[in-house]
Amino acid sequence: MGIVLDRLPGFLEPIPGGSVLITSIDAIINWSRSNSLWPLAFGTKCCAIEMLMATGAPHQDLARFGAEVARQTPRQADLMVIAGAIVKKMAMRMRLLYEQMAEPRYVMATGSCAISGGPFMYHSYSIVRGADEVVPVDVYVPGCPPRPEAFFYGLMTLQKMIRQGETIRKPGIRKKPVLAALPQGITIDDLHAQQQEMLEHDNMVDVEQAAAQKIWATRLDQWIPKPSKNS
Amino acid sequence: MDTEALEKLVMGLEAQCRKREQADRAAVDVPVSALEPLMRKLRNEDPLSFDLLLDHTAIDHIHEGLFEMVYLLYSTRHGHHLMVTCEIPRMDSIAPTLSDLWPIAHWQEREVFDLFGIGYDGHPDLRRLFLEDGWKGYPLRKGYTDPDMLEPA
Repeated sequence: MGIVLDRLPGFLEPIPGGSVLITSIDAIINWSRSNSLWPLAFGTKCCAIEMLMATGAPHQDLARFGAEVARQTPRQADLMVIAGAIVKKMAMRMRLLYEQMAEPRYVMATGSCAISGGPFMYHSYSIVRGADEVVPVDVYVPGCPPRPEAFFYGLMTLQKMIRQGETIRKPGIRKKPVLAALPQGITIDDLHAQQQEMLEHDNMVDVEQAAAQKIWATRLDQWIPKPSKNS
Repeated sequence: MDTEALEKLVMGLEAQCRKREQADRAAVDVPVSALEPLMRKLRNEDPLSFDLLLDHTAIDHIHEGLFEMVYLLYSTRHGHHLMVTCEIPRMDSIAPTLSDLWPIAHWQEREVFDLFGIGYDGHPDLRRLFLEDGWKGYPLRKGYTDPDMLEPA
């Protein structure tokens, strides 16, 4: 399979109509890869319970994404789910496992420890601040731990990235389709102007006025009984 | 045996033993010269018979220049707990090993050596346990910093 995919674009491009054929082949290959991602269960800490164990259970089912075949060996896995904090001792082993995975290989960093070092970011002597110091990460799923539904959203984002961002013409190069689009009718200059206005407006606050304007302040006035006149 | 009776019994064993304030269980404090004989008696004598060393750790009092070694003992025969503490100086800190009394002390002392740098006199194999072999420094000491830390602790 690998040798076919390596040679195929070079073989098909010169043929008239070959690019269309490659695009169709891309669609099929990306569809099949995205719908059968086999995770390498790399759970080191608490996130493993949510991301690997709870998602494999029937309530939030990983099997409906085709990803229930969690392998313990990197040779047979294509998605490395980093669930938990990475310490310096573990970083060597994780790099070794990543290099043993066959391409195309994907990495998903779940939980705040894998994204940035988490609550241990400031003072820890042994934690690596983020799994992306060790391996290139494709999808980050924030949370501590993320809910399994959030993990599935990350998985679906990864599936979208595989389907729309990969092609056999350029193996190993991925586009990230989720990043590029702003919502309709908004431009970057709009965002800059809004941010500038917010910074100027929130620069100073008049505490007395802000206190008087709260909704619950007026309700308090209604709630406190007025002093009666004959006491 | 309840807390007061236990403390009184233990303090009767060793002359330099003091009651330790600030503890949630029976707790005594000994100078380091009396530590090993006291531990031997605590393990062997009958109304005490502390056969489990539950944990061993240290507290770094950097401003007083001391390490306070903490031993948590438990007796499975009688069901009572005891905490024994011992203060050693922070520079050139050496403590007697208890690994011939309780086998688990072998690794517990390796852990304290790994994280605090306290040497154990008579320990059969004193080397780092959790950190890598080439690690410089002792992380659980109060003055420890590391270039990876974003803020000094």
